[in-house]
This record gives sequence, C-alpha cells and structure tokens, in this order.
Amino acid sequence: MKQIRLNSLFIALALVTILASCHKDKVIPKQDTPIATRAGVYVLNQGGFNSNNSTLTYYDYTTKSLTADLYKTINGTDLGDTGNDAEIYGSKMYIVVNVSNVVDVVNAKTGKLIKQDSLVNNGVGRQPRSVAFYKGNAFITSYDGTVAVMDTASLAITKYITVGRNPEQLVVSNDKLYVANSGGLSFGNPDNTVSVIDLNTLAETKKIPVIANPVTITADSYGHVYVLSLGDFANILPGMTIIDNTTDAVKSQTNLSLGYNIPIAASGDFVYYVTADNKIAVYNAKTQAAAQTNFIIDGTTITTPYAISVDALSGEVFVSDAKDYSSNGTLYAFDKTGKLEYSITTGINPGRITFVNK
Amino acid sequence: MIFPSVSFAQTDTAKKLKEVKINTAPIPEVQSIAPLQKISANAFEQYNAFNVADAVRNFSGVNIKDYGGIGGLKTISVRGLSANHTIVLYDGVQLNDAENGQVDLSKFNLQNVQEITLYNGQPPNICQPARSFSAASVLSIKTIKPALSSNKSYLITAGIKGGSFGLFNPYLLWQQRISNNWSFVVNSYLENANGRYKYKNQGDGSDSVRTRTGSDISAQQIDGALYWAKNDSNKFNLHINYYNSDRGLPGAVILYAPPTVASRLWNQDFFVQAGYEHTWNNGFHLLINTKLSKNYLHYLNPVFLNIEGRLDQHFTQREFYQSAALAYRITNNWEVSYAIDASLNDLNTQYNFTPATPFPIPTRFTLLNVLASNYTIGKLHLQGSLLNTNTVESVKIGKAAPSRNIYSPTLMASIQPFEAPNFRLRGFYKSIFRNLTFNDLYYEPVINPNLKPEFTKEFDLGATYSKGLNGFFNYITLTVDAYYNNVTNKIVFIPHDPFNSSVTNAGKADIKGLDVGLKTQANLTQEWKGTLSVNYSYEQAINVTDPASSNYLNQLPYIPKNTLALNAGIDHGHLGVYYNQVLSSQRYYNNNNDSGDNLPGYSISDASIVYRFLTKRIPVMASFEVNNIFNKYYSVIQSYPMPGRSYRISLQITI
Repeated sequence: MKQIRLNSLFIALALVTILASCHKDKVIPKQDTPIATRAGVYVLNQGGFNSNNSTLTYYDYTTKSLTADLYKTINGTDLGDTGNDAEIYGSKMYIVVNVSNVVDVVNAKTGKLIKQDSLVNNGVGRQPRSVAFYKGNAFITSYDGTVAVMDTASLAITKYITVGRNPEQLVVSNDKLYVANSGGLSFGNPDNTVSVIDLNTLAETKKIPVIANPVTITADSYGHVYVLSLGDFANILPGMTIIDNTTDAVKSQTNLSLGYNIPIAASGDFVYYVTADNKIAVYNAKTQAAAQTNFIIDGTTITTPYAISVDALSGEVFVSDAKDYSSNGTLYAFDKTGKLEYSITTGINPGRITFVNK
Repeated sequence: MIFPSVSFAQTDTAKKLKEVKINTAPIPEVQSIAPLQKISANAFEQYNAFNVADAVRNFSGVNIKDYGGIGGLKTISVRGLSANHTIVLYDGVQLNDAENGQVDLSKFNLQNVQEITLYNGQPPNICQPARSFSAASVLSIKTIKPALSSNKSYLITAGIKGGSFGLFNPYLLWQQRISNNWSFVVNSYLENANGRYKYKNQGDGSDSVRTRTGSDISAQQIDGALYWAKNDSNKFNLHINYYNSDRGLPGAVILYAPPTVASRLWNQDFFVQAGYEHTWNNGFHLLINTKLSKNYLHYLNPVFLNIEGRLDQHFTQREFYQSAALAYRITNNWEVSYAIDASLNDLNTQYNFTPATPFPIPTRFTLLNVLASNYTIGKLHLQGSLLNTNTVESVKIGKAAPSRNIYSPTLMASIQPFEAPNFRLRGFYKSIFRNLTFNDLYYEPVINPNLKPEFTKEFDLGATYSKGLNGFFNYITLTVDAYYNNVTNKIVFIPHDPFNSSVTNAGKADIKGLDVGLKTQANLTQEWKGTLSVNYSYEQAINVTDPASSNYLNQLPYIPKNTLALNAGIDHGHLGVYYNQVLSSQRYYNNNNDSGDNLPGYSISDASIVYRFLTKRIPVMASFEVNNIFNKYYSVIQSYPMPGRSYRISLQITI
C-alpha cells in the first residue's frame, strides 16, 4: 500500500512538472490532481422545496457501499433545505444550502461538519447558490446579487462583491471569475449578463451581454467559457453563449432546444449539456462544433437529467435523474463512449455530483 | 313489489322522528343510500370546534390538510382524493373557487351554522342543483334559519371567544321575525389573533422550543339572510355574505435560516345568492338558485429577490351562476329529476412585476345537465344519475384549454335484507370528472393548456345498523363502508424552487379504504347521559402509474393508513364534559416511502367543559376548551409545525 502511494506521488510530481512546463500560462480549470485516486462520488440532493430534506449521498468506489445521507449519518443533523452546490477544495467540501441560507464546510473525506456560515443580510437570507475557488478563496454566489468571498483558511467571509441579478453558477477561467447573472426571480424580465470579476482586486470589471437568463456556466482548456441560458419562456429562446476568456468577447450565441434543467460540464475536448428532449448533447471544444446529439449509445433513457459531471481522470460521465422531482433519483455512470457502467439510487432532486479523492 | 308499504312506513317514521321534539337526542341518521356524516350546532363545543375544518376532522375518511395555527390554511381531503374533489355547499349553493378549486375551511366560523353534512358520492335528495352531482364528495353547510313565533319576534345570540393565539372573537347572531311570511337573520363576527404559538424545532440538533410568528389574522364576516315562506312548500331566501381578512402566511419553517418575513394574504369575498323552492301536491318539486360572487385575493411577499424587491399579486375572480332543478314524483316509489346549472367564471390578475407571459385572463362557461331518478322496489332503493359537463373556455391572450363534453354516471343502491329495518346494505358507483382549475392551466411560469382533466371512479360497499333502545343505551348506530377510488390523470403540482414549478398529470392512483363509524348514547345515571362516537379509517392509497418505477405501489403523500377519532362525553343537561382524541399513523410527504420521507404519526387529545345556566332569566353558555392537552409537537404538512397546548374560553348569551 505504502509502495503504491509513493509511486503515485512520484508520477504525480513528474506529471505536474511536465504539465507546468508545457502550458505556462494555461490555467487548468479543475483542481483535480491528474493521478489522484478516487475514493468515491458525492451526490448532493436538493430535496423538495421547503421540505428541509436535502441530503448528501455518498457512493464508495472501494466498498461499493452507498450511504443515503452521509451528512446526517456523520453529523446527526439534517443538511437543510435545497442543497444546491457542493464542491471540494483542498481537504474540505463546501456545501451551499440555498433556502437554509448557509454554507456548510465539511471534511471532504468524512463529511464531518467543520463550520457552518450563515449568509444573512439584516435578517434576510441572501440565498446562496453556487461556489468556486481561486487561490485560497471560496466564491459564493447568492440570489441577492452578490458573490461572497470566503477565506478557506479562516472560513470567514471577508467581502461581498456586487454582481448582476440572481447570480447562479460561476467559473474560474484565465485568472478571472465569470458569474452567470440569471435575474430568474424577475420572471418576465431576466438578467442577460455574465459578470467578470478580477481575482486580484476582487472587483467586478465588466458585464458581458449573453442570452437572457444565464444559469449554468463552465470553461474548457481552450480558452472558452460556455454559458447556458433559459431565455424568458416566452419570446427569448434558450441557448448557449460562448465567451473568449482572453478578450471577454462573445464568440458565438446559439439558440438551442433546452428544457428547464440545463446542467453543463466540460472535460478535455468535450462539453456535455442536456437538451429539451432529455438527451445529453456533446459539443467539441477543440473544433468548436456540435459533436453528438445523444452521448448515451446503449439506449439508456433518463427521465429528467438533472446534473452532469465528468470525471477528468477516468473520462466517465455521470448523469443524475430527478425523475418526477418528488421521488428518489438515480445516478448513472457512463464510460467515455456513452455506455452505462452502473447506476445508484440518490435522494430527491440530485442536483450536484462531486468526486472525492482518497 | 312485495313489501312497498313496509318500506314507506319506515321512511315516514324516520321523518317523524326528526320532527318530533323529544328530550333524548334523535338517533343519528346513518341509514342513507350512500354514506353521510353529520354534525349539528349543539355538538361543536363537544368537538372543540372553532371553524368548519375543526368540526369535520373527526369524520371517517376525512383528512384535514392543516398548515398550522389559527390563520393557517385548512383544506379537506376525503377518502384519499385531493381537496378539489370535495365541493362545499353553503345553503345548497356551491362556494366555488375557479382559481384553485379548493376552499379554505378555516374561513368559516360556526356561529351561524346549524349543521354540517359530508356526503360521499352525492346527497340522496335528487331535487338539487346539478353541481351537487358533480363531485366525489359534498360538504354541505346549512346556516341557522329563524324559527320564531309571534310571541317573541326576535332572538339575539351574542358571544365572545378568546384564548391562546391572542384570540379575540366577538360575534352576534340576530334572528328577526318581520311578519307571518318574512324573517331575517344577520350574523357577524370579528376575529383577531396574533397567531403566535410554540413549536419544537427538529432536525438541526437543537430540539429547541420556538415561537411561530407571522400567522396573525384579522377577519370580519357578515352574513345577512332574508327569508320568505308562504308555507313549508313555497319559500324563498336571499343571502348576502361578505368576508374580509388580512392574514400573515408565515411560510415553511426552514432549518438554520432566520424566520422568513411573513407573506400576507388579503381576502375580500362577496356573494349574493337567492333560492326559491316550491313543492306542489301534484308531485312537482322546483328549486331555483342564483348566485353572483366576486372573490378578491391579494398576496404579498414583502421580501423577494426580484427587481421590485417583493412579489405583489392581485387576483379577482367572478362568478355568475344560475341553477334550476325540477323533480317529479311519478308514482309513490318513483321520482325523476332534471337539473341544469350554468355558470360563467373569469379570473383577472394584476402583478407588480412583468410575468414571463402575460396572464391569459380566462373565462369559462360551464353547463351542467343532470338527469336523476330515485326508485324503490320492495326493500331495494335505487338512485341513478347521469351528468353531462360541457365547458367552453376562452382567453384574452394565448391559447385556451379545449372545450370539454363529458358524461358522468352514478348508480346507488341500498337494500334491507331482513324483516327488521335496523340493518341495511348499500353500495354505489360514481364517475367524476374533475375539471382543471385556472391555476392548473394558466399560472406562471409554465402555462400548460394541454393538461388533461382528472377522472375518478368511486366504488363503495357498506352496511349500516341503527337501533333505538330503551334500556341503559338510548341507541346504537354502526356503519362499515369499504371503498375503492381509481384516479387517472392525477394532477400534481410540483414546486421545484421559488420560481420553478410545474403542474403535471402524474398518472394513476388506486385508493382502497375502510370507514367504520360507531355512535351510541347511554343513560349513565338518572341525570347523566354519556355519548360516544368512534370513527376509524383505513386508507391504502397507492401510486400505480408506472410498474417500472421505484414508486410503484407506494403510498401517496400525506395519506395516513390508519386514523382514529374518538369523542366521548357526559352530559347533565346544564353541564357537559367532553373528550376528543384524534390519532393518525405515520405518513409520507413524498413518493419514496422511506425513512427520509417519514412524517411521524400523532395522537392529539382535546377536552372541553360546557356549562349552561340562567342569570336574570337570560340563558348563558360558558365553555372552556383545551386543545392538545398533552402538548404534543407534530406536523400535518412537512415544515409546517402545529401548535402545542392551547386554550379557549367562550361566553354566550341569548336574549
């Protein structure tokens, strides 16, 4: 065991050196250490709105065991209402619980609660939604139009950056933070911008116009930021906006047939997203062209694709199914060719899939 | 046709029993063709009932969806079906809500209520508005009608209720005889309460007792009724009713979050209804009803993270309703009827924000035609009806739901199998078309005019036993009914998050159940009488949508498998002491039926003491009620905790 670990460490160091020398200016979007070994996968289940039944499902790769709610098992308390995002940075996982207005910082491996931060402004919840990281800071979007900056050492919030309306997802690309300003709570009058935040000054530098009601966002390693927008459900059609992360100019805006749930994930040469007919479409990041209309090739059908995550190490694509939104969901694991490997049961509305290393 | 005379003798006896004034309470009416359960004004204190929802919660097959607190929404679910399947009649005319199809039973105080009856299927009387034939069950509220002689031409009842939740509730009921033919009743009340109560916060590890705030209420209602009666078979009534309320909606209790700033709900409901009824000696019976109503609802969420910083919505719905029913008794044992109801409903909205799509402003014209018949042959009594529902919808903007033309038959039968009339068997089949509400079809953000209406088939098979006794017991009644309801295109509203919800046809449900009811009264001593009522319900309500789904055959949310309601009391004439117990087994609040989806069962006990006396020749009634004596913390709806122990004192005088 020890032998293997040492070997891994050695290979890791070698790879990091090679990568660093090859792409001097390139920022790798995810913090995955390429040769680290996975311990398992977390699925953050939103639960039902106002039902206080958000759960954290954990599937252990080694023991093949499933823990329906690791958070409750370990901490003895409920996660709260509508866990919307869970991301790992260093040894900790940051769980953003939207309606409960808290960010739970837990030990990434055990799920043990380290600190609970409340995001409340003068007695009114800010409604935190998503989290991303950069150089020791966690950035948390909230529906009140802010991005909170949390020091990942002290776990204290040091600053609130004002962005657009009802920001949803955010991504770090080319040393900048891109925030999708949905404005989704102004039903017929959504926002239509992506805020760019300078990660050195921690201030918004510009707003890039995109298709109205942008919700999900991801970045590839070719200098593109992908934004999916819902439109306004009436006159403005949903679609994808692609932003150049050097110039911050919009490279393309394409109307797509999208449904209510528009998860997006980029890994390597491919960007995966869900279309209105509940299929997983693939876009080629390298050639900047549509690649596949349905990634799944073995006939597996998913009723309500709700989240997508790609394991950069194995190339496996994980898709969750929220089914009828009021029953336990399913997590499907596909190999890189689009064949189902296995599936596991999740909680209600599985909205976020995160991999944890050993 | 062997024993027709026997059969009629029996019905006549039953009629007389009701009319004759006797000291002992009459035997509860249970031997109906379809199940019915009744509660009269004199039993409201006995059941610790403050509003209509409290009065009917003990009925078998009834689940009250209660969001907690004095101002909290309370809707009725009968035999596992949604609230939309129970229509509420106010003096025979439906309190219709075209917007969401559900009536909040907490709105109706009991001061002017004479009796409340719940009919499964439809009422046995076939000279009824067509709407009475249209639902899976009918909750009929009858108000107090003046019965005054020329000796004393008025009767004024004034009272006040107060207690926990900061309740202050004065009321006045004035009955006045104008002439031999004319009389009126005016009923009004004020209800003010801060609504605060203690609950236990569970799930966050604190288990702390907190105070629920933001469920205050300030409501006023005035109901004026004018009666004209030439005689018992030729009468007219006119009702004017206005209800105004300003309520806090505290929302769900969210773990870890600060209490949300309560939303507010204002209701202004106005209706005027008139009815004319004439029974001729030649066998004709005519019933005409007219109603105009306007319901205004204003919802405000003062803290909402949109541009405006709040959600402010106004909804105004109007109804024009006209009904005519004509029955004809062809022979002594055969009656036929025809009823036609026409109604015009519209809904308009006003928002403080721009909706994704402009509100369609729908107008619906509904025409109901029903042919019904009652027929008695020997010991067999039959009732059949065929209802035709025809709707035409139009919208000012967008696409309207398609027109519907649906036939819904009902067949009921009861039989007296033995010589003695105490034991009867009964059964019915009813087909129900539940039309979509304006909310189902047109509420933001997803407008889905292609949603299908819900269809339900109801089956019931039961037995009744009723016997008047002369010994220790005064009477005993026992009813046992097994039922089966099959729902297709079941309509389900799914909230995803604050701005994302959908209404879908979730599929099929099979509901099998058993309702058992026992009532008895005994002479405990020379002076003390004891009453006991026990209702038990078993409900297996399962999802049969998709055999491949993990939810297949799972129990539907919020339907307990076992419920028991017990009410016992002793009564001395002047003094009554009563005990009420409601027991519910655990329920699920979503489709999983696993431990994470569990709402624990509860057992809640209430008690009351009622004392009637004369002071300066004025009859006074005083009562003291304790609800939830053992201070149990429980929830009927997930995240909406119910109050712990609470008290209520009432004082009423009659002049």
